[in-house]
Amino acid sequence: MGAAPKAIEPAETQVPRRQFLMWLSSVGVVGSALAAIFSTFVFMKPRATYGQPNRFRIGRPEEFPTGARIAIDTKRVCIVRDGDKLAAISTTCTHLGCIVAPSATGFHCPCHGSQFDVDGNVTGGPAPKALPWYLVTITPSGELEVDKDTEIQMGTYLSV
Amino acid sequence: MSTEKKSLWKDLMDLPKNIYRSIFRNPLPASDRGRAATSFTNFFLHIQPVRVNKRTLRPSYTMGLGLISFFLFVILAVTGVLLMFYYVPSTTQAYDRMLDLRSSVAFGVILRNMHRWAAHAMVAVVFLHMCRVFLTGSYKAPREFNWNIGVGLFLLTLFSSFTGYLLPWDQLAFWAITVGTSIAGYAPLIGHQLQFLLLGDATVGQEALLRFYVLHVVVLPIALVLLVAVHFWRIRKDGGLARPEPSELPAPAAVVAPAGEVVAALPARRFAIQGLVKGPLVKVGTLDDDTVFSWPNLLIAELFVLLLTVAGLMAVSLFFNAPLEHPVNVMHPPNPAKAPWYFLGLQEQVSYSAFWGGVGVPAIELLLLVLVPYIDRSKEGVGRWFARQRVWANTLFLTFVLVNIVLIVIGTFFRGANWQFVSPF
Ligand code: HEM
Ligand code: FES
Repeated sequence: MGAAPKAIEPAETQVPRRQFLMWLSSVGVVGSALAAIFSTFVFMKPRATYGQPNRFRIGRPEEFPTGARIAIDTKRVCIVRDGDKLAAISTTCTHLGCIVAPSATGFHCPCHGSQFDVDGNVTGGPAPKALPWYLVTITPSGELEVDKDTEIQMGTYLSV
Repeated sequence: MSTEKKSLWKDLMDLPKNIYRSIFRNPLPASDRGRAATSFTNFFLHIQPVRVNKRTLRPSYTMGLGLISFFLFVILAVTGVLLMFYYVPSTTQAYDRMLDLRSSVAFGVILRNMHRWAAHAMVAVVFLHMCRVFLTGSYKAPREFNWNIGVGLFLLTLFSSFTGYLLPWDQLAFWAITVGTSIAGYAPLIGHQLQFLLLGDATVGQEALLRFYVLHVVVLPIALVLLVAVHFWRIRKDGGLARPEPSELPAPAAVVAPAGEVVAALPARRFAIQGLVKGPLVKVGTLDDDTVFSWPNLLIAELFVLLLTVAGLMAVSLFFNAPLEHPVNVMHPPNPAKAPWYFLGLQEQVSYSAFWGGVGVPAIELLLLVLVPYIDRSKEGVGRWFARQRVWANTLFLTFVLVNIVLIVIGTFFRGANWQFVSPF
C-alpha cells in the first residue's frame, strides 16, 4: 500500500482489504478459541498428583529372603528375590487394571483370569502384554527404593 | 369521594382475578383461536407448535420414548440436586453419606432409589428412542443434524451415568470405574493421557472421585440441557416429526392461505397458523385436516406420559433398593470385576481383543451412527415403522443392535469368576 498515487477505484482496493481483515480476525478468533481449549486441557492435567508417590522405599534387602515373592498390594508391586538378584514387578493387571496376586506358576488376576509366569509374561487370559518391571535402587542409607516412573527391561535385576 | 372508594373496593375484590390474568393471559380456551393463543402466549407451551399432526400423536408411532427420556432427565435433575444436599465427594466420607441416606435422612432411600433407577432407565430408553428414530427412517433429510445432536445426547447420557456410578464409593463403584477407565486407556496414542486426565492420577482415588463429581453434577448436565434445547428446537424447525411423503398417503388436503398477506408467501404450514390467528380468518378445517390443536391434544398426551413415567419409577423405587456393596477395598478386587451393564458389551469385546474390542469396533460403530443420514439419502419409507423400502437399512441396524444386546447379556449373566463362561440357570 501507500505507494504510487494511482487512480484506483476505491471499491477495488477496499474489498480485498476487507477480506484480508476478515480473514485476519477469523484466524485470531479461531486461534484464541483453540488456545483456550488447549489451555483448559493443560489445566486439567495435574502436574503433581496427590495420590501415592511413584517413588517409595520398601525396606532393607534382608527383609526379602532369597526365593521370596512378596506382593506389596498398597504399592502395587511384587518384590522378587533370587539369590543376590532382586527386582520389582508391577502387580497392576495389564488387562483392565485389577491387582494380580502371586501364584505357584507366577501371577494370577482375579478379575478376568489373566495368567502370567514368574517374570510377568502373559500365559493365559485376556491381558494384552506382560507386567512391567520397575527400577529398584539402593539408597545411601541401605534401603531399597522402587521408582514406578521408570520401567526397565524384563530380567534386569539389582544385585544385592 | 364515594365513587373512588367504591372503585378501590372493586379493585380489591378483583385482586385474585387480576393476579390470575396477569399470569395467564388467556382464559381457558373455548374456541380454536383461543387454543392457538394459549399455546403461543405461554412460555412453556410455546415450545410446541400450535397444531400437531395426528400421526405424531399416535402412541404406537413414537411410543413416547423421546418424551420419557426427557422426563427421566428432569427427574434425575430434581432428585440429584436433593441428594447433593447430603453428599460429600470425599473418599473418607462418601460411603458414610450413603449409609446416612439410609439411616438418618428422611426419604433418603427413596430419593436414592429413584435417582439410581432413573439413571439406568434413561440409558435404556434413550437407546430405544434412537432405535425408534432409525426404524421409522426419521433421521433422513432434513433431520440429519438433529440425528447427530441425538448421537451426542446418547453419549452424554452414557457418560453421565458412568460418572455417577463412582460416587457411592463402594466396591462395585470402585472396580467398575477401574475397569471402565482402563478400557478408555486402550485408545491409541491418546488412551493413557485420556485415562490420566479423567482420573487426575494413576489410579482411581480422591482425584478421580472429585473429577467425576464435578463432571456429573455440573459439566454434563449443562451440556445435556443445551443439547436437549437444540434437539427440541430442531424438531420444530425441521417441520415436526417425520411423516410419510404426501404422495405415499391418501389424497392430501390443499393448503388454503388466508386472505393474501404474509401467510401466502411463506411455505410452511406452521407460519400460516400464526398468521391465521392474527389476520382475517378462513375456516380452519380447510387448512389441513390431519392436524389437531396442541391444546389440549398434545398436552394431555404429554401429561399422560409424564404420569406413567413417574408412576413406573416410583413403583420400582418402592420395591427395589439401589445396591450398595462393601466400602472400597483397594486390595481386594471382586471376581469378576464388571463395568456398569451398558459397558459390559464393550468389556466382553475387550476380552477377545483389547484394541479392536475396546477401541476399533466402537469407533467404527460410532462413525457409522454419525454418518448414516449422510450415506442413506433415499427419501422413501420415512415416518413409518419397518417400511418395506427400508428393509436393508433396518435389517443392518437391527443386527447391530442385537449383536450389542447379546454381548451385554453375555457379559452380564454368562460371565463368572475369572471371566469364565457360566450358566446363570
Ligand atoms: C437425552 C436424550 C434424548 C431426549 C431427551 C430426546 C427427546 C426427543 C423428543 C421428545 C422427541 C420427539 C419425538 C419422540 O418423543 O420420539 C425426539 C425426536 C427425535 N430424536 Fe431425540 N431425544 C434424545 C436422544 C436422541 C438420540 C440418542 C437420537 C439419535 C441418535 C435422537 C434423534 C431424534 C430425532 C432424529 C428426532 C426426530 C424424529 C422425527 O422427526 O420423527 N434423539 N427426541
Ligand atoms: S483386569 Fe486382570 S484379567 Fe482383567
